[in-house]
Amino acid sequence: MSTIKELYAYRQMIFSLVKKDLRGRYKGSVLGFLWTFINPLFQLIVYTIVFSKILRNDIPRYYLYLFVALIPWIFFSSSITVGAASIISQKDLVKKIYFPRMVIPISYVTSCFVNMLLCFIVIFAVIIVTGAGVNFLALLTLPVIMIVEYIFALGMAMIASAVTVYFRDLEHILGIIAMAWMYLTPVVYSKKIVPDRYLPLFNLNPMTHIIDCYRTVLYEKQVPDLTALLWAAGLGVFFLIFGAFVFNKLQRHFAEEL
Amino acid sequence: MAENENVIEVRDVTKSFRVYLDKGAQLKERLLFRKRSRYEERRVLRGISFDVKKGEAIGLIGHNGCGKSTTLKLLTRIMYPDSGSINIKGRVSSLIELGAGFHPDMSGRENIYTNASIFGLTKKEIDARLDSIVEFSELEDFIDNPVRTYSSGMYMRLAFSVAINVDADVLLIDEILAVGDANFQTKCFNKLREIKAQGATIVIVSHALGQIEQICDRSVWIHEGLIRAEGPPKEVDLEYLDFMSRRVQEKNRDETGGAELSAESGGKRWGSGEARITSVRSYAADGSEQNAFRTGEDIRLCVEYTVKEPLEDAVIGFGVFDMNGVQCYGTNTRIDKIGGLSLGKSGKAVITLKDVKLIGGEYTIDLAIEKGEGIPVDYYRQAYRIQMLSSLGDAGIARIDHTWDIQR
Repeated sequence: MSTIKELYAYRQMIFSLVKKDLRGRYKGSVLGFLWTFINPLFQLIVYTIVFSKILRNDIPRYYLYLFVALIPWIFFSSSITVGAASIISQKDLVKKIYFPRMVIPISYVTSCFVNMLLCFIVIFAVIIVTGAGVNFLALLTLPVIMIVEYIFALGMAMIASAVTVYFRDLEHILGIIAMAWMYLTPVVYSKKIVPDRYLPLFNLNPMTHIIDCYRTVLYEKQVPDLTALLWAAGLGVFFLIFGAFVFNKLQRHFAEEL
Repeated sequence: MAENENVIEVRDVTKSFRVYLDKGAQLKERLLFRKRSRYEERRVLRGISFDVKKGEAIGLIGHNGCGKSTTLKLLTRIMYPDSGSINIKGRVSSLIELGAGFHPDMSGRENIYTNASIFGLTKKEIDARLDSIVEFSELEDFIDNPVRTYSSGMYMRLAFSVAINVDADVLLIDEILAVGDANFQTKCFNKLREIKAQGATIVIVSHALGQIEQICDRSVWIHEGLIRAEGPPKEVDLEYLDFMSRRVQEKNRDETGGAELSAESGGKRWGSGEARITSVRSYAADGSEQNAFRTGEDIRLCVEYTVKEPLEDAVIGFGVFDMNGVQCYGTNTRIDKIGGLSLGKSGKAVITLKDVKLIGGEYTIDLAIEKGEGIPVDYYRQAYRIQMLSSLGDAGIARIDHTWDIQR
């Protein structure tokens, strides 16, 4: 409880760090902030070519089907891979000054989140330009899905960032885990093609439900299955609390380890 | 908050560090060399307790590695104690790392926001302080320029201004007052006094005992992880200086292996060689041998020499140099009109330096035996080393006796 109160007091620091990160990320590159969009767009093009032209599937408007899942996925995976190195990359601050250490993963995940929101502008542009259309009622649930994903991503980022301080390999291991996790989550394919005997395993993965909800709202234009969303929210909150607990335990020796 | 209330309470705090002899932070190393990642547990703090009351300023003193900086880090909550407890009431601002989080490409103004936010200030609070921060830093004309265009002095001024305008209840300071020029230092000092008068509690770690004496109500001397003495700065600092001078002396003796002078010391020694300086020792007024002295003490230098061929008109001289190689003083028996010395056999020259007012620092002494019109017989550069200790923070080469009479 006191942690939350303290984090609230340091909200301006979170805000400054997010701003600094967003402004500094593409500093010096010619295209600058456009990379925020170009990067996912190229991924989208590659995956679309591979999964709809080469490995043909019968999903109509596959590019949109993929796009509405890929952008949230990129948010999640960059939250944990970039988040893992966040404490180390801010070690000058951590070693020399006091502030609630959670500020760092929070601001990293938040800046990834802001990036995702910006990409959603592109998603909506595509939806409108291609005439795919939206369901406004379903859209109302979109912020909820985003918050659930944010909570889950934050929990994971806290664990990843704190453990990486003591065990630097994790940063690289997470790169592999993130890739595997993506293919074990119905991002480039549909949950429907997952064999039944693996389904329970897939359902344990909160990202399965989160990605599914995004897709239901933006692609199928329907209100998502609320029990799935609730399950994901429950897991998300669990991981956030667990992550905060782990983080608090580990942060005591950050300054000595860095 | 009531007066006389403890703002900081430190109770039986211990802290150890693991010093890894061969640390593997990577998976491969951890798995393969599990037994090899040996470490030494170094106990930096062995149980210290002290209180600081509201509006009080204390100085932590001690030699390098005694644990005073660790104590400050524990107070800042950068680290946590292994056992014991630390309680601090109110907002803490630390002047340990000035300019934390400064971004070179952002303007001074934007950096004020970033930096102040790290101290836990909200936007509204920063808005309210912005003018006083800018004014204090004297950077009004540059505040919208990127910080990378600032000189290091301007950078520190900005950083200090932010840290000191946080309105902290507790201010932790590590060797700050090396910030900026003399004018700005004075300004910082006055500001600190002002903050203290308004009821802020201050903890300073410094080697400049003069600064501590000027602002602190109490000195806490930490020695090898324990509090060795605590009390009014004037008393504790003197005790500490005494201790240090003995220590320095022992160390110097260890380093030079006594003060027997080696025959050849490449490039540092030259001359025709009829006589040679063989040893130098220094004594305090009470006759005890030492080579660390407090400013204002008498120093007796005993220079022994051997003579190979008798000299008729020898001159013995010495020069004192500071660490920058600036000669602080130099003279010889000719200048002092002692008259031509005839050195027939080995002997000893005793030079008594009265009331040596050199300021704190290390000094080297050149010694020379010459003949005739200044032909070196044995010129030994940096033959000896002394340490001057001073509790004042005055500057220059030597202290000029002075009095103040301020008329207003």
